[in-house]
Amino acid sequence: MIVCLAVVGHENNPLYIQSFTESDDALKLHHIVHCSLDVIDERVNNPKKSSPAINEAFLGLLYPTENYKVYGYLTNTKVKFILVTTDLDIRDADVRNFFRKFHAAYVDAVSNPFHIPGKKITSRTFGERVSSIVKPFGLNSAS
Amino acid sequence: MATFLPQFQSIKSSFAHIVLSVEDVSDLWPTIKKGFEERLPFKRASLNNKTRNPVLVDELPAEFILTTDARLRSRFPQEQSLFWFREPYATIVLVTCEDLDEFKNILKPRVKLIVQNDEREWFIVYVSKAPAHNDQATKMAKKVHAKLEVDFSSKKRERCCKLDIHGPDPSFWDDLEAKIMECIRNTLDRRIQFYEEEIRKLSEQRFMPVWNFFNFFILKESLAFMFEVAHLHEDALREYDELELCYLETVNMAGKQRDFGGVEKGDDQATLLDSGKKALAQIVQDDSFREFEFRQYLFACQAKLLFKLKRPFEVASRGYSFIISFSGALALHESMLPFCMREVWVITACLALIGATTSNYKDGLATPDVEKEFYRVQGELHTLCHTKFMRLGHLVGYGSDIERSPVNSASLSMLPWPKPAVWPPLPPDASSEVLAKEKMILQESPRLKHFGIQRKPLPLEPSVLLREANRRRASLSAGNMSDLFDGRPSSGDGPLLDSSGTPSAVQKMSSVSMSRTLSSPGNFDGSIDRPMKLAEIFVASEHALRNTISDAELWKCLSSVEEFEKKYLDLCKGAADSYHRSWWKRHGVVLDGEIAAVHHKHENYDLAANLYEKVCALYAGEGWENLLAEVLPNLAECQKILNDQAGYLSSCVKLLSLDQGLFLPKERQAFQSEVVRLAHSEMEHPVPLDVSSLITFSSNQGPPLELCDGDPGTLTVALWSGFPDDITLESLSVMLTATNSTDEGAKAIKSSEAIVLRPGRNNITVSLPPQKPGSYVLGALTGQIGQLRFRSHSFSKGGPADTDDFMSFEKPTRPVLKVARPRSLVDLAAAVSSALLMNETQWVGIIVKPINYSLNGAVLHIDTGPGLSIAEKHEIEIEKHEFGANNTDHSDSPPDKHSPVSADVKQLSLEDGKINLPDWTSNITSVLWIPLKAISHRLAEGTPAGTVPQRQSIVDGLRTIALRLDFGVSHNQTFEKTVAVHFTDPFHVTTRVADKCSDGTLLLQVILQSQVKASLTVSDAWLDLQDGFAHTGKGDGRPVSKFFPLIVSSKSRAGILFSICVVDTPAKDGEESDPTSVLNIRYTISGNRNLGAHSPVTNELTGPENETDPLTFRSALVLQRPVLDPCFAVGFLPLPSNGLRVGQLVTMNWRVERLKDSGKDVDSDDLDEVLYEVNVNSENWMVAGRKRGYTSLSTKQGSRIVISILCLPLVAGYVRPPQLGLPDVDKVNISCNPPGPHLVCVLPPAFSSSYCVPAA
Repeated sequence: MIVCLAVVGHENNPLYIQSFTESDDALKLHHIVHCSLDVIDERVNNPKKSSPAINEAFLGLLYPTENYKVYGYLTNTKVKFILVTTDLDIRDADVRNFFRKFHAAYVDAVSNPFHIPGKKITSRTFGERVSSIVKPFGLNSAS
Repeated sequence: MATFLPQFQSIKSSFAHIVLSVEDVSDLWPTIKKGFEERLPFKRASLNNKTRNPVLVDELPAEFILTTDARLRSRFPQEQSLFWFREPYATIVLVTCEDLDEFKNILKPRVKLIVQNDEREWFIVYVSKAPAHNDQATKMAKKVHAKLEVDFSSKKRERCCKLDIHGPDPSFWDDLEAKIMECIRNTLDRRIQFYEEEIRKLSEQRFMPVWNFFNFFILKESLAFMFEVAHLHEDALREYDELELCYLETVNMAGKQRDFGGVEKGDDQATLLDSGKKALAQIVQDDSFREFEFRQYLFACQAKLLFKLKRPFEVASRGYSFIISFSGALALHESMLPFCMREVWVITACLALIGATTSNYKDGLATPDVEKEFYRVQGELHTLCHTKFMRLGHLVGYGSDIERSPVNSASLSMLPWPKPAVWPPLPPDASSEVLAKEKMILQESPRLKHFGIQRKPLPLEPSVLLREANRRRASLSAGNMSDLFDGRPSSGDGPLLDSSGTPSAVQKMSSVSMSRTLSSPGNFDGSIDRPMKLAEIFVASEHALRNTISDAELWKCLSSVEEFEKKYLDLCKGAADSYHRSWWKRHGVVLDGEIAAVHHKHENYDLAANLYEKVCALYAGEGWENLLAEVLPNLAECQKILNDQAGYLSSCVKLLSLDQGLFLPKERQAFQSEVVRLAHSEMEHPVPLDVSSLITFSSNQGPPLELCDGDPGTLTVALWSGFPDDITLESLSVMLTATNSTDEGAKAIKSSEAIVLRPGRNNITVSLPPQKPGSYVLGALTGQIGQLRFRSHSFSKGGPADTDDFMSFEKPTRPVLKVARPRSLVDLAAAVSSALLMNETQWVGIIVKPINYSLNGAVLHIDTGPGLSIAEKHEIEIEKHEFGANNTDHSDSPPDKHSPVSADVKQLSLEDGKINLPDWTSNITSVLWIPLKAISHRLAEGTPAGTVPQRQSIVDGLRTIALRLDFGVSHNQTFEKTVAVHFTDPFHVTTRVADKCSDGTLLLQVILQSQVKASLTVSDAWLDLQDGFAHTGKGDGRPVSKFFPLIVSSKSRAGILFSICVVDTPAKDGEESDPTSVLNIRYTISGNRNLGAHSPVTNELTGPENETDPLTFRSALVLQRPVLDPCFAVGFLPLPSNGLRVGQLVTMNWRVERLKDSGKDVDSDDLDEVLYEVNVNSENWMVAGRKRGYTSLSTKQGSRIVISILCLPLVAGYVRPPQLGLPDVDKVNISCNPPGPHLVCVLPPAFSSSYCVPAA
């Protein structure tokens, strides 16, 4: 299950954080997303470590812990997408696919002339679209 | 094969280096042993690794053992092949012989026997005992040695070397070492080959039923061990890696249920770095090993090799992955393992790994990148350990001491509870402990956050422990969960069951269980079916853990809250320190926050504040407001307690400027009240405060305020207040920055009075003193709240304040004020261009013309110059100025129309030379009419007609009025101008004698030239004649009255004839005769004041009848008597006809003739001396001779004389010739006849002539 999805701007400022848990604990997910920026920074600043994947937006698994996984995706404009999931056996290809869809949704959202670049994304349509992407993802991986 | 395990183990433990066997044929070893062993360990040994590549080993330890030694004897052949690695790698045959025969007969067969075994690598050392001085013996030794070489060495291989005991050759040792090395290398190669072959064979059978892991393991490990002994650690490590892979591949093969292990006492302590903790024989399981122990064993072997390779960072990173994967394996078998075995193992493993790697790691061992990575793994290990430790602490009831921070919540709330097969039951005699725990639960009070912030605490449990524990109890199935809560006072709390682990639920539950306990304290150890209470769970867990944990140190950490916290802090610090030295700075800073929380709890505010500041800076820097909102109140509290007012204030302001949705209005009000309270309290050091995020400002919509140079104004600024309530500002000032000049700093514009800011938008007006020309933008906002000086730099974009508007400063700033360059704002000019009447009170019009500028409240100062005075009795009039009035109106239009008082004319009065202009004139051009009188005491003079019409000097009639207009918004503008007004007499009079009658009557024509642009009506004129003249007839000199009125229109002329005659009047002695005649004219004027002269302002502005009062004009006329009475005639005699030339002397001749007898000296003398003088311009002429002198002339009439003067022209051209004058004779008595020429022509000098040429 995807528990959190975040868009982080190129100055590492949060642009969009949506948690999909029922309990009221979004803050811990904020923390996870924020800390995972360390990993993205490390990968971006030390390209030789992850040389094969550097040309790809999908950063792969950032953060393997015992209980959840964090995946990252870096756009050309240095906007980061971060996904926190509690699915421990998940295929990279699925996540990559998911991020592509999400990227498309993000691009549409920021192309809105009323959106100020660098500001939080408040579009409700974007939110709806995101949940429509998130929902089937959980089902797929569960099956 | 498993039976060999103990033997294998013991061999491994006793065998540490390569063995070199010494076959001491001739009992030489004791004598040379010392020299041999001094060579150990070998330096720079060159060996081949598994892939046959040469590897240089720096230091290779070895041991020489005699073949007769017990260690090399009594081995079974099978053993030998299995543990081949321990067999000697070289055999050194020591021989000596001093006799060839002896060699041939005894030594050679013996050595042959020794070396016939092909398996061994051998060589012979011939020891020569011959002393150096004994040539015979030496020779013999050489011979024997040569013989040896012939017999034993082959072309391919040299197998002999010679050692001289009495004179050792230095090259011998090198030779020996090389030979030993060759043997070792060969042996090693052969053995590797052997093992590889065996392993390959076994590997092929890996998936067959006959497969036995032990065989594989012993072969593989033997190989690895052999490599290790040969110091080929890299290869050894590879073997272990392969062994591990193979093990993992086979151990989990389906269909084989194996015992996992880990249930023995002490297994909870990780042995991942200690391969010898448990004998391999103890962990045998069927045909393989138990996973729990064996994987740790393998890792320990690998770690040992890595440490030997000086790669502790690799141990750490491999170890971390190992712990994670092993923890997963433990989770699979959790139900079989002791309670919390997994957590305890992870903790001990992490601690062991941290300890070992840190002690093996020295700074600078690795590249910076690797070092950072190492520290990151250290941090990860610490964090993992920390997490598990917290979990254990939570289980034994220290949950309330764990900070409910996002970090802890993230790591704990997603970590499942331990899943034992059965939750540990409550031990029978634990009632007192339960009571103690319950007391503890009751005593714990949720720590209140500063400012009364109420937040739902973050969860630390994946699900409610109470539920989880009871569900896992043997007797309770999941179905009867509702039993748990029956009998509660409020059973309607549905959400309580559904909520997953909210602490409030736990809180409630604990209180519920408490009430139940109190009601029935006696049934603790009653039925096992009763659901356990929280305190009971804690106690049960504690007992179970005590059984699990064998490490006294770890148990001590869990035994009390204080110890728990100490360990908690240690782990936190370890993690934070490690992260700080890695790339993962955020992790480090966040953990600093955890450390701060502990310090905060222990009232160690100083440390806490420092750490909190770091965390806040991190969150604030990247805009993570939600996280910031969690930490910032804590920082504020610490700062408050530490009395750090500046920090506290700035924290409060930051709290206020966070997203409004993050705090309740009540909380935000609390922040504000803190700010206000501090601002109004007596601060020792008033602190400046940056409220840029809280109070933003912008100029108002629309175009910028435009001001003229020097004008003050009021500026409206829009302020957005982020305060939740009204806030009173003691003062407020706005900085204005000029955009056009950089050298000038910003100017502060202060708002005068206190301002109350409402939340949201406020419009503030500030008065603006005059500014320099230019355009200005808003710079910064400063102000005071109480004693607090605040400052704001952020512009808001003009909409409602956007709280996450942290990019607003990028917006270009719009000018808010434009001050125009100095320009004329008003113009003052005289309304008339033509002359006014002199000596009469005239309206002088001043046109006041504002140029796009209001003259509201303007004051005009009037200062009349000399010869001009204001008729103060009169009101001053003002009227609207009609453009083009000068053109449309004509002087002949009816005068009534331009009566001074017209409908739209307003009367003003002059006070101290000042006039206040009425408001209605502020934006229109108006004319101010001032009654002025120019005074001239000079009588107008008539001129004779025919002469150049010499107009009366303009300067005479010119008068000036100095005007100063004070105007502007606050009379700050001044305009000064001096207006010239021209006054003149109405007429200019010229006279001429029209006719000389024969009777001596002269007709004098007086011509009146009108000087004004007005029509003049002459009603009367008369002439007061001077002495010597008289009117003819009896009249008084007036023309016939029927000529009058004579109307002289503007710029026209009129003439009057007077007939006069010359009379001889006796000279009156002592009485000055009147030299001039005076023409008197009575006239009236009708003119338009807009155009010029007009009828004078009457003294009393009563009726129109006054207007007709005639005015009088007097003009002096000079009448000249005809006095032609010549006595002398001076005639200029013609010049030579050949003309004048520069440089040529010429004689000027004048003839002087006496026309009359000299009256006075007739009889005294015949001759009279006449003074003459030549007037000449000396630049043109040079006079040779006397210019002035006397000449004698007879007094008789008709006597004449010629005066000749020699002159030299100096300049070519037309020049005035010299003139002869008679200074003693009155001019009127000289007649010039024939008159001299005005100009004469002088030719330029001849080309060949010069000044020196004498006159011809």
